[in-house]
Amino acid sequence: MTGPTNDDSVTVDLDGDVIVVHGDIDMAGGPVLEAAMLQQEEQDPDGDRPLVIDLGDVSFIDSSGLRSLLGAGRRARARGSEVVLRRVGSEVARLLDITGTTSQFVIESHRG
Amino acid sequence: MAEAALQSAEPGVAPNGPVQLCVPPEPSMSRVARLAASGLASLAGCTVDEIEDIKIAVSEVLIALIEHGEGGRIDLEFDLARPGTVAGPHGAAFVVRGRSPVTSFALDHPDLLLCRTVLEGVCTSAEIGTVEGHAQIVAVVAMAEPN
Repeated sequence: MTGPTNDDSVTVDLDGDVIVVHGDIDMAGGPVLEAAMLQQEEQDPDGDRPLVIDLGDVSFIDSSGLRSLLGAGRRARARGSEVVLRRVGSEVARLLDITGTTSQFVIESHRG
Repeated sequence: MAEAALQSAEPGVAPNGPVQLCVPPEPSMSRVARLAASGLASLAGCTVDEIEDIKIAVSEVLIALIEHGEGGRIDLEFDLARPGTVAGPHGAAFVVRGRSPVTSFALDHPDLLLCRTVLEGVCTSAEIGTVEGHAQIVAVVAMAEPN
C-alpha cells in the first residue's frame, strides 16, 4: 500500500493500480476519494486502463460520495474506459439501486 | 406537527421530545449528526436497516443544506412519532428536520435532485422547500411497530 490520504471519515490507499477505500464516503470523504481518483487517472495518460476501486471496507455512502464515483465514470467513458467497482457492499449497492446508477459502473464483485 | 411529534414512540426508553443539534455548515458535521441520530434511533429500538436509512436521511439533509444553503448555521431535530400523529400517520416513524437561513434555495439544482431521489428511496416521505426565510427539509423514516 502506498500514498495514504487521511480524513476524519475516510482513508484511501493505493494497492498497485487499485484504489482501496476505507470508511465513509460522505461530504467529507467524497473529496478525498475524488482526489485519489484524479491522481490515479493522471498516472494513465493513455486512459486505456479501467479505474478500479475497492469498496469492500466502505461502511457508508451518500449522494455526495456517489457524485464522486459518477464523475469518475463520466471521465472514464469520455476517454473510452470504465470504472470498475470491486467488493461492493450492501450500502453502496443500495444507493446505486435507489438512484438507478448501477449501469454506470462495472460491478466486478460483491463483498462477501 | 411539532406538538404531535413530541409524543415519544417508547416513553421511558426514547427521549420524551425532540433532540436538537445546531451545527456549523461543515462537511465534517455529517458524521457527527449521523452518530447522534443513529444513537437515538438505537435507543428507540429501530432495526439495523432502519438505522441505516436514518443515517442516509440525515446525511442527505445536511448535503442539501450545506451544499445548497448560504453558509448559515444548521438546526437539526430528531424526533420519534407515534402512529396516528401528523408525523407518523401510518405508523411509528423517525423524523429528521433540518433548517438553515437562506434568501433563495435552488430546488431544481441537479445535485439537489439527486439528494431528493435518495431521500425518497429511504424515507416514507421527504419534503424539501423554503419556509419563512429558511431552507427546510423534513424526512420521515418509517419504523417497525414496537413489540
